[in-house]
Amino acid sequence: MPEDECTVQRVGGSVVVTMPAEIDAMNSDGIREVLLSASGPGVPDLIVDMSRTTFCDSTGVHAVIAAHREGAVTGTRLRLVAVAVRRIFALVGADLVMPIYPTLEAALADTPSATAGPGAPGDKRD
Amino acid sequence: MAGRHEVTAHLSPAAVAERLRDIQSITDAALSRLDEDDLLAELLERTRNVLQADTAAALLLDFSSGELIATAAAGLEEEVRQGVRIPVGRGFAGRIAAEHRPVIIDHVDHTTVVNPILWAKGIRTLMGVPLVAGGRVIGVLHVGSLTPREFTSGDLELLELAADRAATAMHSLMMRDDRIAAAALQRSLLPSSLPATAGATMAARYVPGEGQVGGDWYDVFVLPDGELGIVIGDVTGAGLAAAVIMGRMRSALRAYALETSDPADVLARLDRKMQHFEPGALATVLYAVFSPGLDRVRICSAGHYPPVVAAPGKAAELAGIHSGLLIGASLDVPRKATTLNIEPGMLICFYTDGLIERRGRSIDDGLARLCEAVTAQPPDAACAAVMAAMVGSEAAHDDIALLMIRRSAEGIL
Repeated sequence: MPEDECTVQRVGGSVVVTMPAEIDAMNSDGIREVLLSASGPGVPDLIVDMSRTTFCDSTGVHAVIAAHREGAVTGTRLRLVAVAVRRIFALVGADLVMPIYPTLEAALADTPSATAGPGAPGDKRD
Repeated sequence: MAGRHEVTAHLSPAAVAERLRDIQSITDAALSRLDEDDLLAELLERTRNVLQADTAAALLLDFSSGELIATAAAGLEEEVRQGVRIPVGRGFAGRIAAEHRPVIIDHVDHTTVVNPILWAKGIRTLMGVPLVAGGRVIGVLHVGSLTPREFTSGDLELLELAADRAATAMHSLMMRDDRIAAAALQRSLLPSSLPATAGATMAARYVPGEGQVGGDWYDVFVLPDGELGIVIGDVTGAGLAAAVIMGRMRSALRAYALETSDPADVLARLDRKMQHFEPGALATVLYAVFSPGLDRVRICSAGHYPPVVAAPGKAAELAGIHSGLLIGASLDVPRKATTLNIEPGMLICFYTDGLIERRGRSIDDGLARLCEAVTAQPPDAACAAVMAAMVGSEAAHDDIALLMIRRSAEGIL
């Protein structure tokens, strides 16, 4: 996977978007597109995993906030995993509207249907 | 590619020479010496000639309305003079833009072509191709014939060659217009001089990002009761679109500032207005209201970085203010102002993200460097020191706006 791209995967009932190490004006438009297309009807829970992101400027923050706003319309709840870049999200007040977790595991454990979700017997067919 | 071989294989030497002349006519390097408007006009004329068509026209896509606008024409200039607009997806040209591919039609009437000028003038056959720049459709180029005729694959290749040339010219035309308009708008919206205020000195800097004006702005105004309002903000995005939104936010904020003296209330009203009239726009704004004696300030931030405050003889630090969400992000966010006391001689520094963000360096690092560079000195000198420390000789990739205000004091310079 190229360093400046995101990956999208389904984990239980959530969609997890893993964000690149560095986000700025060079790649934030693409990230915004990925986030917007990953959310929408049928995706109740979107986890934006920035745990390996070490640099994110305001264009990256705005991309995440735009996805959050879109999700509020289409019914996707957006949650964030951030460590190194947590402060910039707090500085711009993003923590007021979306939960921020220190690890992806913590975010997954806090999924509303987590107890009945991944790993439930009979869940996997192949 | 098989079709291409077939075409040339059956051409006589004279026809090959003629085709070469046609190609040269369109790719002629001398065209580059014309400015974009003349190049487009000349290119359309040559395209019409080499294809022996009766009309040639270029339509540009207006991204805000999603319509194609007739921009240049040879043979049927009415299109341009009457400001023909074709919605993307509809009719002949609209289909080319929507489907991103060439279209040839030999049945021209109201069922196939939206533009009534074309069928009213008796155009029988039309061939059009998309104008593509930077991977995006930016318009459509088409030629028309008053007599029924069959356009060959060779004709199509020539038209595509012309389209390639025209797209480059039109793209730079659009970029140039956008840049000039955005820069003019930006200039007209930033205060040409800061109001003289008893008890305070101020200074400001604005540096546009590399070749592209963005949506950064600052504003300073005196309110009717003698309070002083300072605004700094940054609209997400760049170019004319961001500058236009910035202008609207600036006017709206000024209007709300006259209605209520609570900065949190002003930003809440601005947010409601923006979400209703400019859905999709995102911006950070910080609004500060200084008391007439400048001994107190009430600050509310909508997603904007906190100001840096420097008291005389002390290290500068980030002001401890409540953070609030960006304008345009969500309506259900409470907004809260923070009141700070201002000592005599204290300096307050407002800035936009372009000042502190550098690729590969953390925001914390940028904020720490800014705090080191800010000292309680006359604002003009403080601005110069901060720009030297934070920017130096680097070209700014993003806009930078910087505004400083200092409370004067007896015996303190």
